[in-house]
Amino acid sequence: MGQRLREFKSGMEPTIHELRFMWSRVVENPLSILGFAILAFFVLIAVLAPMMAPPQGPDPYIIPRGSQFDEPSGISATHPFGTTEGQYDIYYGVIWGTRTAFRIGIWVVGASLIISIAIGCISGYYGGVIDELMMRFTDIILAFPGLILAMALVVALGRGLDTVLLALVLVGWPGYTRVVRAEILRVKSEDYVEAAKAVGCSDLRVIVRHILPNSIYPIVIMASLDIGAIVLSAAALSFLGIGAPEGYADWGYMISLSQTWITNLKYWHTFTIPGIFIATFVLGWNLLGDAFRDVLDPTLRRR
Amino acid sequence: MGLRSYLIRRILLVIPTLIGVTLLIFAVIQFFSPIDRASLFITDIKGTSDLDAIIAKYHLNDPVYLQYLYWLQAVLSGNLGWSYSSNMPVLKAMLKAFPTTAELVLISIPVIVLGGIKLGVASAVHRDKLIDHATRFLAIIGWSLPTFWLGLILLAVFFGGLHWFAPGRLGTTSEDFVNNPTLFTQFTGIMMIDGPLNGRPDIALEALQHLVLPTITLTIISIAMIIRVMRSSMLEALSKGYITMARAKGLTEKEVINKHAQRNALIPTITLSGLLAAGMLNGVVITETVFQYKGLGYWAAKAALAAGGTGGSDVPAVLGFALFTGILFVIANLIVDITYAYIDPRIRLE
Amino acid sequence: MSENVLDLKNLIVRFYTYEGIVEALDEVNLNLRKGETLGLVGETGCGKSVTGLSVLVLVPPPGKIEGGKAVLQTEKGNIDLLNQDEANLRDIRGEDVSMIFQDPRSALNPVYTAEDQVAEVFLQHRLKQLCNAVLDKLERETQDGGSLKKLANRYEKWIFQKMLKNPKSLSLRVLSKIPIARRYQRRLKEETRKEVIRVLGAMKIPDPERVADMYPHELSGGMAQRVVIAIALGCNPRLLLADEPTTNLDVTIQAQILELIRELREKFESSILYVTHDLGVIAELCDRVAVMYAGNVCEIADVTDIFKNPLHPYTQALLESIPRPGKEFKSIEGEVPSLINPPVGCRFNPRCPKATQLCSQMKPKLVEVEKDHFAMCHLYPGGSK
Repeated sequence: MGQRLREFKSGMEPTIHELRFMWSRVVENPLSILGFAILAFFVLIAVLAPMMAPPQGPDPYIIPRGSQFDEPSGISATHPFGTTEGQYDIYYGVIWGTRTAFRIGIWVVGASLIISIAIGCISGYYGGVIDELMMRFTDIILAFPGLILAMALVVALGRGLDTVLLALVLVGWPGYTRVVRAEILRVKSEDYVEAAKAVGCSDLRVIVRHILPNSIYPIVIMASLDIGAIVLSAAALSFLGIGAPEGYADWGYMISLSQTWITNLKYWHTFTIPGIFIATFVLGWNLLGDAFRDVLDPTLRRR
Repeated sequence: MGLRSYLIRRILLVIPTLIGVTLLIFAVIQFFSPIDRASLFITDIKGTSDLDAIIAKYHLNDPVYLQYLYWLQAVLSGNLGWSYSSNMPVLKAMLKAFPTTAELVLISIPVIVLGGIKLGVASAVHRDKLIDHATRFLAIIGWSLPTFWLGLILLAVFFGGLHWFAPGRLGTTSEDFVNNPTLFTQFTGIMMIDGPLNGRPDIALEALQHLVLPTITLTIISIAMIIRVMRSSMLEALSKGYITMARAKGLTEKEVINKHAQRNALIPTITLSGLLAAGMLNGVVITETVFQYKGLGYWAAKAALAAGGTGGSDVPAVLGFALFTGILFVIANLIVDITYAYIDPRIRLE
Repeated sequence: MSENVLDLKNLIVRFYTYEGIVEALDEVNLNLRKGETLGLVGETGCGKSVTGLSVLVLVPPPGKIEGGKAVLQTEKGNIDLLNQDEANLRDIRGEDVSMIFQDPRSALNPVYTAEDQVAEVFLQHRLKQLCNAVLDKLERETQDGGSLKKLANRYEKWIFQKMLKNPKSLSLRVLSKIPIARRYQRRLKEETRKEVIRVLGAMKIPDPERVADMYPHELSGGMAQRVVIAIALGCNPRLLLADEPTTNLDVTIQAQILELIRELREKFESSILYVTHDLGVIAELCDRVAVMYAGNVCEIADVTDIFKNPLHPYTQALLESIPRPGKEFKSIEGEVPSLINPPVGCRFNPRCPKATQLCSQMKPKLVEVEKDHFAMCHLYPGGSK
């Protein structure tokens, strides 16, 4: 048993060395440090949300209302960021909105990754009719601008945040699948895959142990860059009114509430504050994705 | 090989893609109940009361493939259903709103192309100088901004605060004016063309003024993306051997950059354009909503929220819009692919 | 004594890199006589390519030419290339001096046809001749056709006369962008194509018409290199810089290209600076040889003299290390030095079997040791003269 552990550890050493090298490259670049810092900040908020903004009802994601007035009100002691239309507390909204954003990003990208890796591997590895069919199918979905197709799906399946998540996954997985498949095809023809097959490895083993680890980098880059885009899309759908339900702690929804009041600059906080949260959140992921790309791009890597 | 055979092959490929588009929309339709689906075939206000007849006429209780064929037939003859929110057939409503959107898009495209490409090239050629840093900074911010937020801020500052620009396509008096057939003939529906044609060039100016903010909002994300791609592909092109060779021929630096480097650098950018077209179509919906710019996107967004159908949406309108944009997107991709083949001869081998 | 087409005196080139300042060329001296082929041989990294690029003043950043002279003999007299403004240099590049590059595929722009790229040299340097050729043709067509054709004829005549006087004029630049007005470019293209086909044919390219319309990725390595040579020789330059033109080609193609170069230099009477690391090519092609090591020219001599009687210890070691059947394999001890902190004194001294204390203190000068045989080594302090 101890022997196994030791073997595992020494087997992992090159990987650890790799990771250390990558980390040092990341840390060199001030923009990537900024990206990490931003995301760390948001993670902190998301984790500490119940403490920073204690829930005041059965569903913590419903923003508490100061009163029933329509008109927003300014920054005050009880409402540190003021309130927006309908007297929803902005501070509460942006704090719990962080959790919503993470939920959206991670769920959609995670699900898209799982689906696309599975389908991409099968399609790319086995080729033939399955591949052709899959590619035609993804082509059809990719023949639509994403947001609009998502819109149609949400209208069809019923409005709500969960539908938005589902719609974004349905719209997003083809894009991922194409990238996965392209990587699989590239790695498939490498010599070490031939060698593994010649030695008698099963298909699954070849895919999991040889092909995937070598094709994972572009996928990771794509995923991290995409989380930002997904959050933007979900925010847009909530803004249009077909996403998050009334009173939900979602940044996009909060901005939609501010629409009628923008002409009065007294209420700048109603759209500026949630907007800053979205922009910074997306910026963080974009910087991170860029940093990953600089570090993991095989053509640029050099010790 | 050769440009022509590639073109023919590529154009023929459009047909199965379009069929695929219709299949997908049809698949989405299946999520609705037969009553909802029936509403897709109504062509006038009277039809709403006679759903059973429609269900029979279009075989909505028959097997799926038959339904598809009947639906496709209806679509091809221009019947996309009745739009509750606009009180007219879907196709008519879309055609009415289309020129307004076209005006916005047609203005945006040169802005994106010129702004993005020129700035990207300048950024690469003057690497690490002020213009490079400034451009890259703007690009990365531009890429992270939610379109609707940028639009709102612009509106708040320039309309609410400074009163320089206003939402909508034209001011209220002008809007009434152009919609009055006795006073104003809408040849194209595009205000910048119709204005002068009607002897009212000031309408064109007014339209332009109203287009400033929406155009900025719509184009910023695309420009940001193009700048980044152009910059990196220019840097790569400038490091290649043929650049030294071009200089060794005695060409001016300008010729070297514009003729040799730029054309190669455009290749990845054109590949990106397909994505950008999608982004534009998405952005149109949001931008028009924010600025109350009553084009196709605004109409579709309103339709998605409208009461009338089941589930609180004007289903035929939204689906009609999706189908329409799908077709537009297929055409846009076709144009992109053709441009790509024109510029990069290596692709014609495939 | 035939005169020098090119005379490099004390050429200094430095590269300002992140890791430090690379002293790439350290007072390089060499001369190329009219009509001769001078081989420039040395290991990778010794600076031979940089020397070639310096003649064109095209050393890429972070490199900078920081001293010395590069005197070129032109019709207008001898000029120092390192002392010219960009406009003059552009006239010289492609016309008086041109270069053949190492990798033909990367020297050609993938998105333009062979014709486009060869035509560029002609459009740049032979515009007047081409305009005159077009005008002659237009003159012969003056009476043909109906009134519309006559109008077009007059318009095109006007355009090309303008082009003769001032090719960069504003009106020409504007007209070249307007769709129908710019049809005059077709005439120019016609005449230019004739020149292109002619020079491609001179490169022994079979079916030059077809090749002209091809893109670089459609050409084989040898064919592409012929196109590159066509571009270089298009305007019959007096000095041709060849930077390892056959290194990236198959051996059989290599032989063909060398044969081609031999024929062409007869025909065009060019003087060639042939950069290579292949001693075999030197023996076959060159009249004189310059041996470079770590940024210095350490020996220049006639090709037979170099092989029979190498004077510089480096040349001797180089020749010793050529593998021969039956002979034990001998390599040069040590490694090529980093040029960021080059050895003091003679740069070869750490590896030189005949080094003395003086060698590590003072740099030797290039002196004429025997007739027309120069060496830069303390073994030959003042030369024999």
